[in-house]
Amino acid sequence: MTILEDIISRVEELNPIHAKKIRKNISGQNQEFLNKAENFLKDYMQFLTKHGKDLDYAIDCYLKLIDDMLYETIRFMTSKEYSNSSFQDVNTRIYDNPEVMEYHMQGLLLSQFLWIQHYKILEFFLENAPKHQDKTGNYLEVGAGHGIFLNSAIDLFSKVDSFTALDISKSSIEIAKNFVDSSKVRFVHSDILKFEEQDTFDFITMGEVLEHVENPIGLLEKLKSLLNDNGITFITTPTNAPAIDHIYLFRNAEEIREVIRKSGFQIISEIQVPSEDMTAEEAHEKGISVMYGAFLKK
Amino acid sequence: MDKAEILKKLNDIFINTLDNADIVLKMETTAADIEEWDSLRHIMLVVEIEKTMKTKFTSKEITKFKNVGDIVNSIEAKK
Repeated sequence: MTILEDIISRVEELNPIHAKKIRKNISGQNQEFLNKAENFLKDYMQFLTKHGKDLDYAIDCYLKLIDDMLYETIRFMTSKEYSNSSFQDVNTRIYDNPEVMEYHMQGLLLSQFLWIQHYKILEFFLENAPKHQDKTGNYLEVGAGHGIFLNSAIDLFSKVDSFTALDISKSSIEIAKNFVDSSKVRFVHSDILKFEEQDTFDFITMGEVLEHVENPIGLLEKLKSLLNDNGITFITTPTNAPAIDHIYLFRNAEEIREVIRKSGFQIISEIQVPSEDMTAEEAHEKGISVMYGAFLKK
Repeated sequence: MDKAEILKKLNDIFINTLDNADIVLKMETTAADIEEWDSLRHIMLVVEIEKTMKTKFTSKEITKFKNVGDIVNSIEAKK
């Protein structure tokens, strides 16, 4: 039995409704997806063992994340608003709370290959990032999380001699260190808005951070100041995705594009991946989450 | 409202939300018994139940809904 199948079977016993969704997500995927998932999960199993944990612990964390999302989504369907509006509140309740951060981050790790939108966005990055490898000499990732984009960047950008990974959460950095070759990466524990650097970067990746701040235009303007004039930024953010730490609500892709334009960036290419089996337009209409990803330039 | 009445109301909500007129709920019915009862429709069901039954479930209650009986018991406890 593969690790992926083992995970789904265990989720099925504990949360059969959610398992239905995972099975649907996985059913249309090819062998390449299954191989990547298995390799990622093998690394994850090693990480768990190293920390005295097992798969049951990981699934318990994942299902806590699913429970949080279920409750937030039910409230969102009625109020049409996210439950958080202040970064300070989220910082106190979530980012500064190791117990919540632990299960939340562990849960997100498993979601990388259980939620199709995460995998499709990674594929989009892998297909398009190589177009910019020749002019990329240094790389910054904001919100490195489980390090899967950082690892891909280390593989793709052979000319890069300096990778920097920045995260506001210490727990998140500790997790990322286990998934990437730490000798190649400088980890920085800092709020991006307070991060100062003498050099600018050729390539900046910022996955799923915009929805965590009160002022996404200000955040993108900060990224712009850290990017060199010919540099490339890759961002992702979801629409209509209630979660315990999401603050800024994008109701559709056009609202994201507007924020991008207002911050002075231009869109080179973009993708939208609905979280359910429907078109992006249909999902926006029904208030169902769509993951948005885009390569940007100044 | 007793359990039988709550179950009957839930049956109507399930039929309308899942668009399946053949649904006959029992206390022990789970998502495994009804094909259309997936995670997205589960959210729609809870929202519709709260609206129709004029109730609001807590986070703990919602995450413990393993079968129809759990929902019925939660509603009954609030009345």
